[in-house]
Formats: sequence, C-alpha cells, structure tokens
Amino acid sequence: MTKTKIEIEPLARVEGHGGIKVEIKDNVIKDVQVKILEGPRLFETLVIGKTPEEDLSLVPRICAICNLSHKYASLRALEKALDIKVPAVTQTYRQLMHHGEMLESHSLHLYFLALPDFFGYDNAVAMAEKFGEVVQNALALKKFGNKIMRLMGGRMIHGENPVLGGFGKLPSRESLLELKEEALHHLDFAMATIDILAGLEVPDYLERDTQFICLKPPHGEYDYYGDILLASDGKEYPLEDYKKVIIERTVSHSFAKRSAYNDRPFTVGAIARVLNLGDRLKGKAKEAYDKLVNERWYRNPIYNNFAQAIEQVFSLEDVVRIVDELLTAEIPKIVKPPRGSGTGTGGVEAPRGTLIHHYTIENGVTVDADYITPTAMFLDDIEAFIRKSGETLLAKNEMDGIELKLEMVARAYDPCISCSAHLVTVDFE
Amino acid sequence: MSSDSSDKSKPRVGIYGLTGCAGDQLLLIHCEDEILDIFNAFDIRSFVMASSNPIEDDMDVALVEGSVSTEEQKEHLLEIRKRSKILVAIGNCATVGGVQAMYAQDGTFKDRMKKVYGDMKFITAPMEGQPLDAFVTVDYYLPGCPISAKQALPLLSRLLHGASPEPFPHPVCHECKLQENKCLLLDKKFCLGPLTQGGCGAVCPSHGLPCVGCWGPNPDANFNEHVKLLESFGMTKDEVIRRIRNFGGHKILQYIKDL
Repeated sequence: MTKTKIEIEPLARVEGHGGIKVEIKDNVIKDVQVKILEGPRLFETLVIGKTPEEDLSLVPRICAICNLSHKYASLRALEKALDIKVPAVTQTYRQLMHHGEMLESHSLHLYFLALPDFFGYDNAVAMAEKFGEVVQNALALKKFGNKIMRLMGGRMIHGENPVLGGFGKLPSRESLLELKEEALHHLDFAMATIDILAGLEVPDYLERDTQFICLKPPHGEYDYYGDILLASDGKEYPLEDYKKVIIERTVSHSFAKRSAYNDRPFTVGAIARVLNLGDRLKGKAKEAYDKLVNERWYRNPIYNNFAQAIEQVFSLEDVVRIVDELLTAEIPKIVKPPRGSGTGTGGVEAPRGTLIHHYTIENGVTVDADYITPTAMFLDDIEAFIRKSGETLLAKNEMDGIELKLEMVARAYDPCISCSAHLVTVDFE
Repeated sequence: MSSDSSDKSKPRVGIYGLTGCAGDQLLLIHCEDEILDIFNAFDIRSFVMASSNPIEDDMDVALVEGSVSTEEQKEHLLEIRKRSKILVAIGNCATVGGVQAMYAQDGTFKDRMKKVYGDMKFITAPMEGQPLDAFVTVDYYLPGCPISAKQALPLLSRLLHGASPEPFPHPVCHECKLQENKCLLLDKKFCLGPLTQGGCGAVCPSHGLPCVGCWGPNPDANFNEHVKLLESFGMTKDEVIRRIRNFGGHKILQYIKDL
C-alpha cells in the first residue's frame, strides 16, 4: 500500500482544534507536522495594563480543562511579584483545589478521550454498552473532581474563588468531611483501573528515547508544584531561569515557539512526574506504581495514560490526608499585597505538564506577561514520536489504520490546543 | 459515529468549537448525570472534542462555541449554518466575541498580533475575535463563560421536543437577590452585577467576590448611572470602562459608546 501523505484532521478527542500531517516521499517520512488550527487569542497582550485581580479572572480562560492550573500558576507568579507570602494552610487549600482539577482532567482524558482507542470505540458513550460499570464509575470519579473544583474554585469552570493571597470563601467542615469520604470511596475504582491497564497491550511501534521535565516539589513528597525545574538527566534549575532551560525557537512550518531542552524534544506531564518523582510515592499510589511502571515507560508516551491512573490514586489519597490536616487547621485570612511592583515566575504542574506564568507588575498594573504551556513544551516530542511511529510502520509495511495509530500517540499526551494557541501553523513566503 | 445514528426520529446534532477555551463543550461533557441521556436522546453526529469519526451533513441543531478568529473559521461557520436548521451560539466567545475581543475596534489588533507572533504569514488569515452573528443568523443564544447546565439542559430539552427556548432577560443582581446576598455595592466594592446577564446563579457575589461581567452585557442595564456609581468609589472612568470591556466583546460597544 503506497501512501504519500497522511492527513488527520480534525484530531478528535483532544481539547481544541488541531490536526496531524505526515508527508512520505520514496517510502521515507519527509515531514511531520502537528498542526494547531486554533485561532489567535493573544492573552499575553490582553493582560497588559490590567490589575493582578483582572489577570486572575482572565487567564483561566486560556483553557477550560486546566483553568485552575492557569489561575494557580498566575497566583504563584503574582504573589512573588508583589511579595505576598500566604500561610502554609492557604497553600494546603490550594493543593486540595488542584487535586480536584487533576482528578477531573485525568479521568476525562483517561476514560473518555484515550481509553476508547484501546477498546476500539469512537467515544466513551459507545463504550458504555459493553463497559457500563467502568463508564459509570469514571463519570462518578470525574464528577468528584469537578465537585472539588466547584467547592474550591467557586464554580466548576472559571471560578473566581481563588484570589490573590487566599480564597473568597473556604469550605465548611461538613464539606471537607464529605470529600474525604468520597475520596476513600473512589479509591477502589482508581485501583481497579490500575488492574485494567495492567492487562492492556501497549504498542511498541513508537518507541524512542526522550527526556522528561517536571517541577520539583519544595518538600520531600510527591506533588504538583514547585520552584525548581527537575530534568530526567538529574539536573535542577531555578524556575526563574526557565528561558535559559527551555529554549524556544521558531520552525519553518509552524509559527511557534517550539521548545527544546539540551537541543532535543522533551516530555512533560503525568509520565514525566511519575518517572522523575515516582520514588516518592507511598501507600496505594506506590502499589500502583510498582504494578505498572517498567523500563519501556522511558521510551513510550502511551504510558502517559497509565501515569495519569497512578496520579488519580495519589490525588485521592492526598485529598484524604489534606482533609485531615485542614480539619484541625486555623482559618487563614486573605493576605494583602505589601507592594505594587515586582517580577515573579510561578510554576505548577497542570494535568498535562509544567505550566509557567511570568509577570512584571509596575505600580499595580501588568506591564509584561509570558505564559508557557505544557502543549507548547511537548509538541516537538509528539512530532518526534509520530515520525518514529511512521518510520516503523512504513518499514513493516503496516500502513492500514496508521491514522488511528498516529492519533493515539498525539492523544496520549493529552494535548490542550486552546492553551497552545500561539502555535499556529504558518506558511513562510 | 454513534451506534444508532440511523435513527431518524432523533434530532441530528453537531457540536462545534471555533476559537475559545472549549469550556462550553466541556460543560456539556461535565454533565455527568445527563451525558448518557443526551447521547441517547439526540443523534449526535459531530462532537470532535468527545468522539472520532464525525458525520458532517444536514443537521437539525448546531451548537457552536468560540469566536470567529480566522478566515477558515468564518468559512467553517458559514458552512455549518447552511446545513443546520437551528444554530445556537454557546458561550461568551460565540455570543459576544470573548475576552479576545476586549479591544474590539480600537485598532490595536495588528500591533498585538505582531508583538506575539512577529512578522508571520498565516495559512489562514487571523482576525480579531468576532461573535457568530457578525457573519450568520443565530437562532438562540446561550451566554456564559462558560455556559451553565441550568440553562443548557432546558435549552436542549426544548429543542428535543420541538419547542422554542426562552431567553433569561435578567441581570446577575436578580439572582444575587434570590441568594439573599448582601449587595457588594453597598460596601463600595466594584461589582458589575447590574450590567451583566444573569444565569450563573450570582456565583461570584455568593463567594463574597464581585461580578466581573463574564456573561456579557445585560441589554436593559443603565450603563450611564452604573459607571457614575463606580466612579464615585474612587476609580477613574477609564478604569471602569476597561473592566467592563474585559468580557464585553464586540457587543459592549453599543452600550458604552455615549458614555
């Protein structure tokens, strides 16, 4: 079977509008492009001249699925810029909030966007006929994630409750206890998911070496935030130096700040966190880690789906730990900014990877802003794995159904195309 | 794409996203208690965010999220309109243009494009975000950033049964009163509730936080008086207008032009 061009558009079951184009000439892959067809929104310019309060309302709108990660990254950046030091308990409430988003986003991706591929369905609803219990439990788990987001964010999507220096309203004791009870309930299904995944066959046509970056938590445990970039080569960098570590460049086929570390593509996301920080996992999350992680993970991003399943377990267990901690903690007050000018870089691990927000504030208004999203970081890596897949499948002459195989590679990263909308494909004239 | 897509008795539906955060489509996906019923009641032929293998032909209902921000999207929207009996704009970007349209018509778009992208030639020409009705007739509007399930599900239900969805012509204040919140304006806090379309359930004031106006302008509002009131709290008129414009898109221009 001879093909000269493979075009997959639209790329389904991802957030935002994208496509994949592979060009083949004389049985050799000439070019691979992950096309980003989302229109420009220019967020970096929308916040100029705005107050930090306005910035915080606007940035979640970059992306609905990880809206709280955007808010959280901006909070961390703006609070550094304005020298706001929130009490430890406020940080704990933020971690609770973030677990909601991890559970919402991971369960959405794992069960609804990725798993249908493994079982041969167009979507998760079609899956429900045969895998009714899994779909129902997955919906319940996602609903739980959304419940935490609503409670802490103020609304399921784009809530205004997290504010500079604290929260507008904190959850009641009853609500916290409810979360703990529900988290324990969902833990069974999260662990059952680990067993389901352990039984799946993971394709090997895409395997190649890559590198992994995530934020290093400021304590000895597993977590989703930090001020140090940790790479899989063991090197650590202060977050403020992100522009020196994550080198952005433009490429001829795509407008775009593409990212490289050590001149090579890299992966961020659940798989990067699990591979870089997995030795910190405890309890059932450790059990899940021991069941699933193997050497192939370092060469195969399909395992990102599995890493999300491990993080679901971690987040559910950590919700329980956090609730116990908050029940005896004092109610924190909102901290007011002691100054009106400064520069700050904030980093959080969004569900799909490291997210960096950077601000310069002068006299209470934003004069400079920079947002680097996970999808912008791993787009080169997706292309490299798609190229490798194409080469392997071409060499074996397994071209039937190649579109789905390439789509699975892209989907495994859980790309968020709205987030990366400043990666519009362009033609140089 | 759905297994029973040949069922002729079910309304054929397409759910599309142009430029935005995908939050309105996500809100539908997040209706965990209703999503299976929605997929069963309708013949959902295209919903790329949730399913592969869309069928793109004539439809009874198209739900379209996002602003029109490229020439390609404009063509796509015109094409969707042609094959849809009913077109519903869902979310702030589709109804007013979204946050990407906060500087509508101030002439800075080209400069801001250049600042972010440099001198690039695009495969499809970019444009400042516009609401759907700048290009096509919109039959129903579902405002929100994102839309709310309390409004989206009744709209779907009405369309399913061949009835007409009704607008909700009330400001955020109306719902804030129903929540028995103390008015933030009494404490001289900047709140855009009176100027903003309701339907969110006054969620921010219920958290003690001011309304930022994310559902877009309430057509009945007294913009003139409210801007004066906010100025009296110690903010300049420019600052007030700037904040009003954050979520007002193109539609806000008609309300603030004489202020």
